[in-house]
Amino acid sequence: MMLLDAVHEERILALLRRLGVLAVVLLVVVAALPGVSAQEGKTFIFGSEGNPVNLDPAVVTDGISFRVARQGCENLLEFEAGTTNPGPGLARSWEVSDDGLTWTLQLVEGATFHDGTPFNAEAVVWNFDRWRLTDHPQHFPEAVFEYYEAQFGGFDDASIITSVEATGEYEVTINLREPMGAFLNNLAMDMFAIASPAAVEAAGPAYGTPEVGYVCTGPYKFVEWVNDDHVTLELNENYWGEMPGNVSTIILRIIPDTAARLAALQAGEIDAYERPALEDIDVINATDGLRVELRPSFNTLYLAFNYRIKEFRDPLVRKAISLAMNRQEIVDAFYLEGTNVANTMNPPSIAIGFNGDVVTPYDPDQAKALLAEAGYPDGLSEVTVLGLDDSGNVTEEEVEKIPVRLYYMPVTRPYNPNPEAIGTAQVSYLQEIGIDAQLETIGDWAAYLDARANGELLGLYQLGWTGDNGDPDNFIGYFFTAADNPIPREGFYQNAEVAALLQRARVSTIVEERDAIYKQVEQMMADNADRVYIAHGPVPLAFRDTVVTYIASPTGSERFKEVVMK
Amino acid sequence: MTQYFIRRLLESIPVLVGVSLLVFLLLHLIPGDPAVALLGERATPERIEEVRDQLGLNRPLYEQYFIWIGKALQGDFGETINGRIPVSKELRNRFPATIELAVTALIFAVVLGVPIGIISAIRRNSLIDTVSMFGALFGVSIPIFVLGLLLIFFVGVRLKLLPFIGRLDPDIELEKITGMYVVDSILTGNMKALKNALEHLVMPAFALSTIPLSIIARITRSAMLEVLNQDYIRTARAKGLRSYRVVMTHAFRNAMLPVITIIGLQLGALLSGAVLTETIFSWPGIGKWLFEAISRRDYPIIQATTLLIAVIYVAVNLGVDLLYALIDPRIRYSGAE
Repeated sequence: MMLLDAVHEERILALLRRLGVLAVVLLVVVAALPGVSAQEGKTFIFGSEGNPVNLDPAVVTDGISFRVARQGCENLLEFEAGTTNPGPGLARSWEVSDDGLTWTLQLVEGATFHDGTPFNAEAVVWNFDRWRLTDHPQHFPEAVFEYYEAQFGGFDDASIITSVEATGEYEVTINLREPMGAFLNNLAMDMFAIASPAAVEAAGPAYGTPEVGYVCTGPYKFVEWVNDDHVTLELNENYWGEMPGNVSTIILRIIPDTAARLAALQAGEIDAYERPALEDIDVINATDGLRVELRPSFNTLYLAFNYRIKEFRDPLVRKAISLAMNRQEIVDAFYLEGTNVANTMNPPSIAIGFNGDVVTPYDPDQAKALLAEAGYPDGLSEVTVLGLDDSGNVTEEEVEKIPVRLYYMPVTRPYNPNPEAIGTAQVSYLQEIGIDAQLETIGDWAAYLDARANGELLGLYQLGWTGDNGDPDNFIGYFFTAADNPIPREGFYQNAEVAALLQRARVSTIVEERDAIYKQVEQMMADNADRVYIAHGPVPLAFRDTVVTYIASPTGSERFKEVVMK
Repeated sequence: MTQYFIRRLLESIPVLVGVSLLVFLLLHLIPGDPAVALLGERATPERIEEVRDQLGLNRPLYEQYFIWIGKALQGDFGETINGRIPVSKELRNRFPATIELAVTALIFAVVLGVPIGIISAIRRNSLIDTVSMFGALFGVSIPIFVLGLLLIFFVGVRLKLLPFIGRLDPDIELEKITGMYVVDSILTGNMKALKNALEHLVMPAFALSTIPLSIIARITRSAMLEVLNQDYIRTARAKGLRSYRVVMTHAFRNAMLPVITIIGLQLGALLSGAVLTETIFSWPGIGKWLFEAISRRDYPIIQATTLLIAVIYVAVNLGVDLLYALIDPRIRYSGAE
């Protein structure tokens, strides 16, 4: 009996040893598989403030749609996590010709779209042609390819991209009409993600709607979109790339009310959400298991001058107004800790073109002196509106006298968390130097933007900008590259020298040259106080402690494949 | 009776045409261009013009109206400006959500409000009456977003008793038949979904019911008080009828007219969308949708939804009038003349 037992014991031990070796081998194999950590099956629930508009990123402009599409749709270049530097994506390397007109990109091999069709150079060409050519069958006339037009100069013959060719199965050559400094940054923008040609052709204009969603190459496949309820995305088991995080299911719960989003975070119904109300930040930080992190600010709040006002055409008056603003006080009173005051259009987090030497102090005494020098020793209580000729140019004709007005925005934005209160502070600063300004607004956001687009905000007006692609051409360049022509929406601002410099930076591919030009323009515009910059506001993000790692990006282009959960 | 019904039905046509025309004109008169709202801060004049052209906003107003009404009569309300989703399809998804919420809220309001009103009337000036009427006053006065957030905080966050986001947990599957999740889960025998849908429904429906509940309770009480002082009630009591029979058969039946009117009006108001309740509880109904569409100047949504709301009001009023006729023969006979 004892002998039998000993034999059995030995056999059992041998079997256990074999099983142990097998387990170790399996563990090693499994660990070596791409995306293994995500197989653990963590679900990341993000509280979305609204519905996506459409999940075809090529035809939308709103951040909510991009946030969803970004999780499954990938670009040739991707912003490196937490930065505005474009790095490898579906293109693993690239080079540009000496004249800056031809870019050659080497694509990754072995990637497939969610519908199983292969990703290759042909697919890339198809996507570029779809965006660029208005007679392309999938350049749906009912869709607005807004960003392509904005970033690449227009469609068809107006496009800076003149042709895109497949010069190998995994090599694409892109030819440009003129060199483009922001070319790589543009390719990394959410809207230029590569979609499956077969899927777009099959779905037609329904591509991107709740029935179809997106079909791309990324780590998460589209599962379901129930309007006003949720969007669900699931791990793409065949994902070609790396998976630093461990999330296998993403649910974006649509919760429009800020207080309800906070309650959902407290109740554990969501793991994270963007932009908690400022008054909730202390509550979140004081609650066990909850925390706030800041996304580096990538925006600017400014006060624009409408140059149809005769008095605002005088640099002395503009400088006086700029010196009168106590930016630090505004930032301390209305923004989160860590907010930067703004002295320039470009924010400090931009990769090139931020001029840290430009500083506008708060100096009401000098402001009063400048105002007196400009001929207004007793201050200003009304201003003169000038006429417009048939082409929309401001004339010398004095049309009417109106009170000095400062318009505040009717909605909050990350760059402007409390427009009316900030406006009240700004008006009080103006009163301090003798400018008797009235605080006003116009209707709702649509009406305000409409009035601004038509140059009808006759006075000073609040507005701001959030960058898209991390390049200064998309910041200061967006507003003033056409400044040789007065545009109503820019308050009829006109400066041919600024325009020429910005155009030079736009077409240069030499980083150092571009950096210098943007810094020079910032200095020029500050010397003339062409616009009054106020603050660069960081965006707060709220988390439960279920979220261990979330890499916040200045452009807001976070990919949830980076998220690590407990 | 049939004649009465047909006459009332025909009378509603000019009302609906008038509403559609008025909304259309008002929409185009208020400042704010949908193209600018769509393009945002990045709008250039050229793009605005292009988008206006695509949306048909550069045509004469009367032409736009006739194109819209012509399609609307065939059930085609166009596509949303933002996202290009067919409006009629989205309405089919959202309206059942609103109906489910509104009807549940009204059930709460009637089931609680009518008995409270009756008891307050027969126990006039008692403690019950005072407490009930104070409660009714409170119910009308408390802003719905305050009540909603309090409920969310205590019942949802602190006690974790009920969910407060949307209509169903995302991981629960339910075959959609009517779009009303409670009904659909019963029809498909999906008990898990039924439980989850009911849990989601309780808090928003209760929050939404407080105002109609208070109004119904107060109206029932005053209507009952008026009737209880009538001679025929005294006669009924003198005949020795039981108190319950006097109250329910003789008094309540005669007090029902104003109560039904108010229930009808409340149903109309609830069905036209409870913007705040839907927003706080992330309820995907038509109220919130309409509200958001107004700020974006999404004309097709605003036009279709307001027309639907007008239809609801007309239908509910018609229904109430028919109920009158059923309850009070005098109305029926005068209507038939």
